[in-house]
Amino acid sequence: MENIHVEATERTPQIEFDFGQNIFALRGESYPEDVAEFYGPKVRALAAHIGALSGARIEFHFELIYFNSSSAKVLIGLFDLLDEVAENNQVEIQWHFEADDANMQELGEEFGEDVHHATFRMMPR
Amino acid sequence: MLAKQVLQFRELLFQEGILFCYSGYMTEDILSSIGSTLKQKMAMDKTDKKVARGVFTLFVEQVQNVIRYSSEVEPGRCGHGQADVELRYGLLTIGQKEGRHFVSCANMIARRDVERLRGNLTKIQGMDREQLKALHKEVLRGATPEGSKGAGVGFVDIARQATHGFQFDFHDVNDDYAYFCLKAYI
Repeated sequence: MENIHVEATERTPQIEFDFGQNIFALRGESYPEDVAEFYGPKVRALAAHIGALSGARIEFHFELIYFNSSSAKVLIGLFDLLDEVAENNQVEIQWHFEADDANMQELGEEFGEDVHHATFRMMPR
Repeated sequence: MLAKQVLQFRELLFQEGILFCYSGYMTEDILSSIGSTLKQKMAMDKTDKKVARGVFTLFVEQVQNVIRYSSEVEPGRCGHGQADVELRYGLLTIGQKEGRHFVSCANMIARRDVERLRGNLTKIQGMDREQLKALHKEVLRGATPEGSKGAGVGFVDIARQATHGFQFDFHDVNDDYAYFCLKAYI
């Protein structure tokens, strides 16, 4: 599958989906005009790819500064997808946040609570 | 006369502590530009980072509510090969009074939606942090509610960010429409 690379804008994060190495990242701010339009195709490509893997090592880096409530819905979907895939693969989810950002820390912890199969790491910086 | 009138209006806004006021059609472009100016202003004021992020969240969620749900709509005229555009009317104010920041939005809604909205907001208003957290997750995982173009989770997010709570009110305008106003405090 062709890698996905999307530059960040003021309202949408940088997306790096490396399907060769199975390293994936979202970086920046996320409050797109149309969440489904922005994330839909990329998340579907990701789901199709990692859903077919077995015994692979997968990393997902969330490095978000701010996201709105509709983006949160996409994020929780990604967490669920990654945790499901982790039943047959070695999956690591990293939640990066600024050390003084209690809100992003709290959201990361909340999303992380429901991770059962993947490894979840909080990464303050 | 003209300047005096406008000055009086401005003074009225200042009395209420209003720093930003926009009444008109709300679009994603308006959201982007007011949003970046708001960030700039809070950075200049050296607003506490946590407060600034909270205010920005309240702003985004409330403006997106107007863009998606205001019943005062200028219907889109089909352009050649262009997508239909709708313009939705709303009133946004952002300010600071008595040591609290606030963000408020108001817009017309259908009267038939008033009771549902009042019920939801009253329920959310009565919840503590733990209950809000649980509801947040439930709504994030749930199916998108009917008539919702976003995640339907905006009000829960507003309640979680509004460290000093929020107020809301409805006022019937005619048989079909009511005016809805929400004001959230940090």
